[in-house]
Amino acid sequence: MKPKMVSLHFRALKNVLFVPLLSLAATMARGDAVSELASFSVFDKVDLAQLAKSDVKTAHGPPMRNSRFLAVQSCYVAPGSPAQQIEALRRWNPTRHSELKVFQHTDLPSNPTPANFEKLKSAPGNASVRSLVAATQKLSPQLQISKDEAKKFSAGAAGAGGAIPAPVAAFWAEVLAARTRAFSSGGMAAEPPYDHSGPSVRASEEVNGLLREQEKIRRQFSALLGATGIGRGAGSLRPELYWELLDADDQGVVTLGASYNRGGSEGTYQAADVLYYASGGYYVALTLYQLWPVTVEGKPSTLVWRGDMISSASLGSLRGVERLGSESVMMKNITKAVTLFRRDSGGR
Amino acid sequence: MSAFADESSNWWPLTGEFTAEATYVGEGDVERGPRKAVRNFDEIDSDIHLVLTPRTKFGVLRLGTEWERFSFGLPQNAALPNTLQSFSAIFGLDMQFSDSILVRVETQPGLYNSGLGHLFWDDFNMPFVIGGTYIYSPDLQLVLGVSVDVERKYPVVPAAGVRWKIGPKWLLDAVLPKPRLQYELTRDVTVYAGATVRAATFRVDDEFGVSHGIPRLNHAVLTYSEIRTGAGFDWKISPMITLTGEVGYQPYREFDFYRAEVRYHHDGGAPYGTVALHGAF
Repeated sequence: MKPKMVSLHFRALKNVLFVPLLSLAATMARGDAVSELASFSVFDKVDLAQLAKSDVKTAHGPPMRNSRFLAVQSCYVAPGSPAQQIEALRRWNPTRHSELKVFQHTDLPSNPTPANFEKLKSAPGNASVRSLVAATQKLSPQLQISKDEAKKFSAGAAGAGGAIPAPVAAFWAEVLAARTRAFSSGGMAAEPPYDHSGPSVRASEEVNGLLREQEKIRRQFSALLGATGIGRGAGSLRPELYWELLDADDQGVVTLGASYNRGGSEGTYQAADVLYYASGGYYVALTLYQLWPVTVEGKPSTLVWRGDMISSASLGSLRGVERLGSESVMMKNITKAVTLFRRDSGGR
Repeated sequence: MSAFADESSNWWPLTGEFTAEATYVGEGDVERGPRKAVRNFDEIDSDIHLVLTPRTKFGVLRLGTEWERFSFGLPQNAALPNTLQSFSAIFGLDMQFSDSILVRVETQPGLYNSGLGHLFWDDFNMPFVIGGTYIYSPDLQLVLGVSVDVERKYPVVPAAGVRWKIGPKWLLDAVLPKPRLQYELTRDVTVYAGATVRAATFRVDDEFGVSHGIPRLNHAVLTYSEIRTGAGFDWKISPMITLTGEVGYQPYREFDFYRAEVRYHHDGGAPYGTVALHGAF
């Protein structure tokens, strides 16, 4: 949720345009934005003026053949330019809202050491964190780690440390630091698989599968994604890296993320935020953003499209109405997160 | 992590759900006034249903079939049918109206009678349900529904329920026909206490009344209802198959030929045991 800021490349010509021409350009941009939105998303009819007055509009993504995959799309209008929205996304801290159940969020350098995960020792002592500790101490089959990583765990002296005992915190700090370094050097393709128990699962293959099943979205973001480490080797764009401790289905989960963004023509922006590692709950989660500058009621605004997609083992067992229910819950969670973001960033 | 990564891939193009369930109820009693009791009869219930759940633009279709049979070990003089059974098709649709509201419409047209010896057009019935779920939060959902069966004594029966995840391992799934309080023992094993409520209408054959000494019961409609209360477990044997075992007590049962005003009330309950295999693919 923290796309990296990239400098705007305004062309000097724009500064000398007359006001009437600006208005015309804004109207055209508005039409272009809506038609571009319709070209790759599930939102084929959007009334910008109406959307600007309403809450975020959310819908389930196209059905996907792989039962582990789920996608939800949303769109909304926010005040200010896309660059300002990107900056607001960068600065937004989800830990300020307890209902989002993100307990810790810390930015990372590209070459972190276990010391960058020191905050794990001060994790809150809630049921989710206790479940992560218990799963780690018995090296539960549900832990998403590699066989090599599992060998490195040493239970050590019981009772040492806070909510997360020192040996558990040290184990995760080591795993997370090594995985972050692997991502920095070789993108998601360099990440060790989840093969501690059961068949091997690679987050890079999962994210590529998610994109393959949403061809229009993949095409829309192909230039951006090609410059990132998402689903492939390290790209040319430099990511903003972070780690989080959060709750996923009542389990404490440590997760690693990377955010990218890039400015396009006419003030548009694209951003991608990937959770490329998770200790449990989901294999991978990807959020893509497309932002267009629009003018609504004479004010510069941004039309935001957001696509959330996730691959999770637990989704694989859901069918029929359970799956619909799961989509509804994901839609509600996204609506909640976007609403809080907009409130924090002065959007509503 | 589980084996889903391989097992849930696209080797099978259809999605669906299935149940195969058998229940044995020990010897219980019903009575129709003090002198017309039917005592010490046992019961075997069998239920098989298979529903395909393809996803469409409008929602999740439910297309399938169900066979359900109640078999009673009745004494010879009892004016009750030994068998009640139904063969039905299932046509339904689950729709997502918003991120908070899911709606199900489902009908089960089929034959609801006391055996396949003599089939009549009016053995055909088409009960249906319309229900909605309001997703208040991931942990709390409210359910409201209505069941319609024109052959039933009360054709329209409303129902309400709640599904509340009380804690990480506790779930109150108070929704008919199987309200339960569940505790997740392990990732694959859940134990529960709850009830099963069953009610359906069947038409007995055209000579049933004469052969049982009450001519007005010829070709009569019978509403059969029972409630079971018990405890059991769900064991997820594989991602697609769950084994359920349940034991308990049946505190209520009624045979009601309501149009003919012949009703056998519950008089004595009995223990029961259920084994079921169910799952989704």
